[in-house]
Amino acid sequence: MLKDLTIGQFFPAKSPLHRMDPRAKLLLLIVYIVFIFIAGNPFSLGLMTLSVAAVLLLSRVPLKIYLKNIKSIWVIVLLTALLNALYVDEGALLCKFWMIQITAGGVQRAVFMAVRIVLLILTSAVLTYTTTPTALTDAIERLLSPLRFVGLGTAVHTMAMMMTIALRFIPTLIEETEKIMNAQKARGADMESGGLMKRVKALLPVLIPLLVSSFRRAYDLAEAMECRCYNGGKGRQRMTQLRFGRVDLVCALLSIAVCTGAVVLNIFL
Amino acid sequence: MSLVTVKDLSYVYSPGTPYAKTAIHDVNLSFDKGEIIGVIGHTGSGKSTLIQHLNGLIRPTSGQVLLDGRDIWAEPKKIRQVRFRVGLVFQYPEYQLFAETAYKDIAFGPVNMGLPEDEVDRRVRRTAQMVGVTDEMLEKSPFDLSGGEKRRVAIAGVMAMEPEALILDEPTAGLDPAGRDMILSRVREYREQTGAAVLIVSHSMEDMARIAEKILVMNEGRVFRFGSVEEVYSQPEELAAIGLNVPQVTRIFMGLRQNGLPVPGGVYTVERAKEVLLPLLSKGGGAHA
Repeated sequence: MLKDLTIGQFFPAKSPLHRMDPRAKLLLLIVYIVFIFIAGNPFSLGLMTLSVAAVLLLSRVPLKIYLKNIKSIWVIVLLTALLNALYVDEGALLCKFWMIQITAGGVQRAVFMAVRIVLLILTSAVLTYTTTPTALTDAIERLLSPLRFVGLGTAVHTMAMMMTIALRFIPTLIEETEKIMNAQKARGADMESGGLMKRVKALLPVLIPLLVSSFRRAYDLAEAMECRCYNGGKGRQRMTQLRFGRVDLVCALLSIAVCTGAVVLNIFL
Repeated sequence: MSLVTVKDLSYVYSPGTPYAKTAIHDVNLSFDKGEIIGVIGHTGSGKSTLIQHLNGLIRPTSGQVLLDGRDIWAEPKKIRQVRFRVGLVFQYPEYQLFAETAYKDIAFGPVNMGLPEDEVDRRVRRTAQMVGVTDEMLEKSPFDLSGGEKRRVAIAGVMAMEPEALILDEPTAGLDPAGRDMILSRVREYREQTGAAVLIVSHSMEDMARIAEKILVMNEGRVFRFGSVEEVYSQPEELAAIGLNVPQVTRIFMGLRQNGLPVPGGVYTVERAKEVLLPLLSKGGGAHA
């Protein structure tokens, strides 16, 4: 049912990656994404692939779960590869059929793009599986905190708070939707048959109560926050302090080594 | 033949995953028109899962639910017909109100049944009157009504389908004592007028002693006891073993008897206690002083 939807896909496990500072993870993810696209020959891309594989194993999240991610995007991967294969006109001609021609360069580009997209998805998945949504928004807030020097401090804090609250309420809303749907089904609401217009109309008895209760929740939450003297970011301190530790240092050094390696392979091979 | 029969019913949440959890095990029970049954048990005892099986919102993992002797899942396409015959009122039903007026909200079920307009109108007005919703309230937006009024409109929305079995999940949760009495007496009224079977899920042993004729006690997904109020409430030790208490007034009477006072057993409501105590007091008030 609806509950099977995975949003905020945190997967609890004990691994060095789970222990890492979310800021370090977020920065390293960006570095990896850049270098996945910088890697321009089979050797450097191969090195990136190997290191991503090592990271996946290190995360102690079952590989089956990563595979599920790939499953949901394989159509996009295939389509991108196909378009590259058909449109890139470089190198030896492999085969020609009517208006379609496939070249060696095209095939190489297709394989490269496919591998890059898969790596992109996998590395991002590592971040979301090993980091709780709250830690992630916390990290974003900290990383953007220099914006306070240009007068955007409150804006950054407000955005981060909104993200945290939104993430927190996704499961609650899903549960609520399920409850309301059941209640209306108990009164004979028919949401599974009929044409498009009929189905949209059949959703109203679910959407209206959901909207009303969301507003009610929002008012309640705002009131509860005010009662605890919340007044935006000003003077607010944190219960959990983020600290760069030894794990972060080791991971950063390893990543730099891998990325340098990729650049070296790019230039010399 | 009973109106509703539950046979060897079991239900497992998320089967085949590490999160699999058996919510109810081998439940067997049956009830008939005209009965009022109180369903009691702790949070997580399987009450809510059980009642959602009765109108086909949940499909059993194994076992059957029979309505008039026929498996409700014999024809899955016709499951809506079952929901019109077994009405289910969820907890906090006022959160499902959606229509522009209370009238239209109560009419939602009957309209879904495909009834002609004049019949829908008759049912809406009849149930509104039964639960104490005035004509003036019917024309208002349900969101402009008070909490207790909303609750009554929502319950009327299920009653208007005139189900042969009416199931209510904690219909009095969050209401003040007056609101609670109001709802319970309206539910009883519905039974008197339609002869339907009524199932009420509740945490309150006191309320159930007053309204129910039979009590179903659920514990850890199984039927712990199912019998008349007398049968179930006369075994307070058994109930205490699973963390449930018989009504306070019953416990007082048990204490009085242990101290040698000649009071009768089987007192489950304050009203009954008054009936029993007053003659005793007027007869010889000074005897034990």
